[in-house]
Amino acid sequence: MKDDFLNRTFRHWSMWPCLAFLLVLSVYPVLQLVPMALSTIQITAEGTFWTYSPRRNLDLLLGDEVLRDAIVNTLVFVVLSVAIEMVLGFFAALFIACMPRGRNFARTVMILPILLPAVAIGSMWKLLFNYDFGLFNQMVGLIGLNPINWLGDTRWALLSIVIVDVWHWTPFVFLILFASIETLPQDVLEAGRVDGATAWQMISLIILPLLGPALAVAALFRAIVAFKAFDQVYLLTSGGPGTSTELLSLHLNRVFFEQNQLGYGAMLSLSIIGVIVATLAVGKWSATQIERKRTGR
Amino acid sequence: MKFQFATAFAAASALAFAAAGPAAAQTPFADVGKHPEISILINSSPWFGGFEKVVDLYEKQTGNKVKLDVTPYGGVLEKARNAVRAANSPYDLVNLDTPWTIEFYEGNFLRPLTEIDPGFALPAEVLTYEDSNYWNAQRRWRTRDGGQLMGYSPNGNVHVLYYRADLLQQAGMQPPKTWADVAAICKKFYAPPGMYGFVARGEKGNPIRSDWTSLMQGAGASVVRAPQNGDYTVTINSPEAKVALDQFISLQKECAPPNAGVMGQGDVIQLLATGRAVQGLAVIAAWSTFDDRQKSAVVGKINTAMVPGFPGREPGVAIGNWVFAVPKNVPAERQRAALAFSRWFLTAGAQRAYAEGGGIPVRSDIFASELASKPEFRWMRTYIDSQKYARQELGFAEGVQVEAVLGLRLNQALIGEMSTARALNTAAREIEEIFQRSGRRTGKLGALPE
Repeated sequence: MKDDFLNRTFRHWSMWPCLAFLLVLSVYPVLQLVPMALSTIQITAEGTFWTYSPRRNLDLLLGDEVLRDAIVNTLVFVVLSVAIEMVLGFFAALFIACMPRGRNFARTVMILPILLPAVAIGSMWKLLFNYDFGLFNQMVGLIGLNPINWLGDTRWALLSIVIVDVWHWTPFVFLILFASIETLPQDVLEAGRVDGATAWQMISLIILPLLGPALAVAALFRAIVAFKAFDQVYLLTSGGPGTSTELLSLHLNRVFFEQNQLGYGAMLSLSIIGVIVATLAVGKWSATQIERKRTGR
Repeated sequence: MKFQFATAFAAASALAFAAAGPAAAQTPFADVGKHPEISILINSSPWFGGFEKVVDLYEKQTGNKVKLDVTPYGGVLEKARNAVRAANSPYDLVNLDTPWTIEFYEGNFLRPLTEIDPGFALPAEVLTYEDSNYWNAQRRWRTRDGGQLMGYSPNGNVHVLYYRADLLQQAGMQPPKTWADVAAICKKFYAPPGMYGFVARGEKGNPIRSDWTSLMQGAGASVVRAPQNGDYTVTINSPEAKVALDQFISLQKECAPPNAGVMGQGDVIQLLATGRAVQGLAVIAAWSTFDDRQKSAVVGKINTAMVPGFPGREPGVAIGNWVFAVPKNVPAERQRAALAFSRWFLTAGAQRAYAEGGGIPVRSDIFASELASKPEFRWMRTYIDSQKYARQELGFAEGVQVEAVLGLRLNQALIGEMSTARALNTAAREIEEIFQRSGRRTGKLGALPE
């Protein structure tokens, strides 16, 4: 009788450790942000002193001019970098999957950028973007154009950051899609070929629909990570010049850690979580609508 | 400040005279006895090499052990915060950049040195950089007047102007004394990308705020009217501040690389060390790079001058020093060990070794010694002369927030996103709001015409 009860309820109580883990390490810290966001917090050797001041933090949030720039920059950065990475990652995966030999070698080379520490990437790209002797401006000079102020010009700085992110994270998209392409049902692909589908028809009508779930996973992961991009931008431009590369994560770091404004920092964190969730929800809703339209369901 | 400096310098000079002769080379070290190992949180700045050497000497002389946690600038503040907020600090000495000190002083996280040993006093020769190591809790101000001795400076960075002595000599030009001289020298040598006329940090945040501060002070401007007296009227949008900002931007536009808006300390030092800049504004700690054959292509060719001034005004020299302090949450025995190290480090002998190792000593008598006349220490004269004009800025609790505002608006003016007047007016409004939120007595000047 007792064994029977344990067996019946196993699926519930076996989740408890995981649930406890989630509550302690994820839910509680996020919930803790709420009272923080409504307070001014001062930490001293005698203790931590909380003063209830929701209006103050809200006023700071609404009057934060840098935050507005950071939101726009972050959205542009996420959309641009993830879109380019998805396209490049897909074609790289497709190309390498079609290689008759050397696929393992090519895959290993492709994932090298993910393995590099962010500090090394920052230093490397800072040299590549160097105005006077950087590789890019040498190449630009070879074709007779004036050097480009990659990191120091507000028109180029964000794009330069996107280029670095694309270089760094396209391999991640490649890895996910490459694994999926390798497991595509060969009979479906073969049927397409027998029916005389062109390369473009094979890609657009067979491969891409079959890769739908993998593409969604890759895009979702990349979007989440891109929203939190910090290290490379911090190392390359620190959010400058002006606010041209100021991302939400950098601004949050400035408020929370450099300026030690814990209450306002918490309110900012909650707002950023809201922006990310809203953006991802809109993305998911759009994807669902497109899928419905495509399948007619 | 000037009186304190003059007194310290006179005392040091007298001591140096008294000690003149062969015996002067054998300057004394303190016998501090045996102590447990201490741990120091220190930044990996250009002057760290000199500090490391002097720590080695301490270990050899005393047998006491010192563990160094060498951390890049960006990580020091959080490590220090975490250390002092924990039950027990892993560090017995923490090195704090001056703008951070108020958070630690006000938070009561540090043990005043005279509480560890009531008999402890800084030697008269030790420079205190406008009392940045004292804290008067009632006045919420860093001053020895009614303040407690919270620490001491292991590095007293001030700005100096680096210039290529060889090139100026060949051209028959004198070292620059005014910003107009800097512009004239720039005009003579500016030939990009091989040679830039003048370089300074333009990166947003602390870099541009810090480098521009010397010009601002030299133009007779200030961020706040009289914070030491509780008057937090914002004066950053004064005509004098605009003159300083116009001058800074004009030099950056006409003499510096096009990416001046993102240039940090590493870039400025690199341009000078590779011989691609004829003049540059940088902290004195950068000096060790220029005469190091491993790092410099201009060994023996660079010299220093005091930060140039504006006509008819005294030069402005911004201080950017560090403060060594002992956390409260360290066992008493280790607090005494940290103080023993400090006592030894501040002796004339240790400070001389520090200078010889590439550090910037903090005792005025070292600058009055025969070391200053050696070619490799040719920067010492400039440094000690600069002390007469050296001033702290942003010495209040809101300093870090004010710096964030200024660092952004100055950078936006530099890259052309705003006019200089608009940048200063915007900064003034935002800084006034910061003070209003803190409940300070504040206000601001009338807006500059935009």
